[in-house]
Amino acid sequence: MSDPGTLALAAVASAATDLPTGDVLATLASVGESGDWWFIGQPADWEFVFGNADYLGIGALLTIGLTIASILLGFLVGFPAGAVEVYGDGLLERAVSTVGVVLRGTPIVVILIVMYFVVGVPQINLGIASISSAMTAGIMGLGLRSAAYQSQIFRAALSSVDDGQLEAGRSLGLSRFEAVRHVVVPQALRRSIPGFQNEFTIVLKDTSIVFAIGLAELLTRGYNLFSEQTTAVLEVILFISAIYFVLTFTTNRALDYLGDHYAIPEGESA
Amino acid sequence: MSDDDFLRVTDVSKWYGDEKVLDEVSFEMDRGDVTVLIGPSGSGKSTMLRCVNRLAEAQEGSILLDGEEVLSPDLDVDELRREVGMVFQGFNLFAHLTAVGNAALGPRRVLGLSESEARERAEAQLERVGLSDQFDSYPAELSGGQQQRVGIARALAMEPKLMLFDEPTSALDPELIGEVLEVMHGLVEEGMTMLVVTHEMSFAREVADEIVFLDDGHVIERGPPEQLFDHPEEERTGRFLERITSHD
Repeated sequence: MSDPGTLALAAVASAATDLPTGDVLATLASVGESGDWWFIGQPADWEFVFGNADYLGIGALLTIGLTIASILLGFLVGFPAGAVEVYGDGLLERAVSTVGVVLRGTPIVVILIVMYFVVGVPQINLGIASISSAMTAGIMGLGLRSAAYQSQIFRAALSSVDDGQLEAGRSLGLSRFEAVRHVVVPQALRRSIPGFQNEFTIVLKDTSIVFAIGLAELLTRGYNLFSEQTTAVLEVILFISAIYFVLTFTTNRALDYLGDHYAIPEGESA
Repeated sequence: MSDDDFLRVTDVSKWYGDEKVLDEVSFEMDRGDVTVLIGPSGSGKSTMLRCVNRLAEAQEGSILLDGEEVLSPDLDVDELRREVGMVFQGFNLFAHLTAVGNAALGPRRVLGLSESEARERAEAQLERVGLSDQFDSYPAELSGGQQQRVGIARALAMEPKLMLFDEPTSALDPELIGEVLEVMHGLVEEGMTMLVVTHEMSFAREVADEIVFLDDGHVIERGPPEQLFDHPEEERTGRFLERITSHD
């Protein structure tokens, strides 16, 4: 199978995913012979799926890479944007909130197509690897859209911190910026974790839309696979759903842990 | 009063929109004085207090603190607030920080003390308000009275030359008021200059050098507690005192 989104990640992926497939196939075959069918699908189709596990694995790596880069870009742009919407005024505040409204109001496919075909973001060379222009456009599109959503998560979290907190900080002689930074932000970040969990899950699943600019991430590769062996639709879909589930589940659990770890203690007298 | 009053408030007026909430308010304090602002709710006493550290902006008049014009547009408000401690009705403790963290934040971030110096100073102030066993407790783990004492320690950690108290016991259950007033008593004995808004009349009578009675943004009457409480000259003062003491 050919890979339109040529990636440096590819080499790593195939090396990592080659190993376990043999064992799994053997197990599946033996279960098939005994006629003890407790799972869904046909052995031949599962064989096909596992035989192409490395192909899907590369897609999964692309999905993970896109998600991390987009969430990161979304955070780096979205957090300050949310702060500007809460604390800024004048032209800057209006500009930021307008861009946010436009980004949130535009379908993600349109954003990606604009990034790739209209803006024409360049290929980025990192020395050891290069990021294709489609990948750059994918990260920019998903990242900026996520920034628009994350800005609202942070805006809500910042606004939810009682004004008295800022006032108390200022009464000590902290500047407005310092009071926001040392008093409001640490509390707002904690409160934004649940919204952030949502956003992470949404971005992860929305990475599939980069097929529109020719990137073959997990779901696109699944589509390619069952187009080739049309009896394996269910098996392919189950397999990639399991990958998505593992990714969202572990990340949400990690964020739960983060939230618990940094939770502000409350006593019985509270 | 003399020219070298420590705090001199002269004809301060403030409007919220069309509503005049402070109308030419004037009073003076010497260093080490305790002045208590009393009056019905909505009379402007909290607003007056907040004008002194510029948490509220007075539009007219003059507030001289140690000879410096507080209302000057050129004044560095952060510099002013470094020297004027404030205790809030709702405590406003930093919810994500421990008692020590609350009291250390100002010394650390405003005065630029090292982490250990700031912590040391915070601990000393918490001991001063009787909370040496609660250094690492978070606000939500403390009772209201303890929280307010942390609030006082937080302000004291900046070593202010003037302390503002904005109804420090109004949000407390009756049985918790005493411990806060006790701490404030201690500060009075140490000679702290204090401007206090409160409804605790017996406290005011005990510690105040001067009582200022505000109603509807005006200073109706002011004077030493014995005079104001026992022989009020104005009818409104008498009526207010009667109302408030009959509720006790």
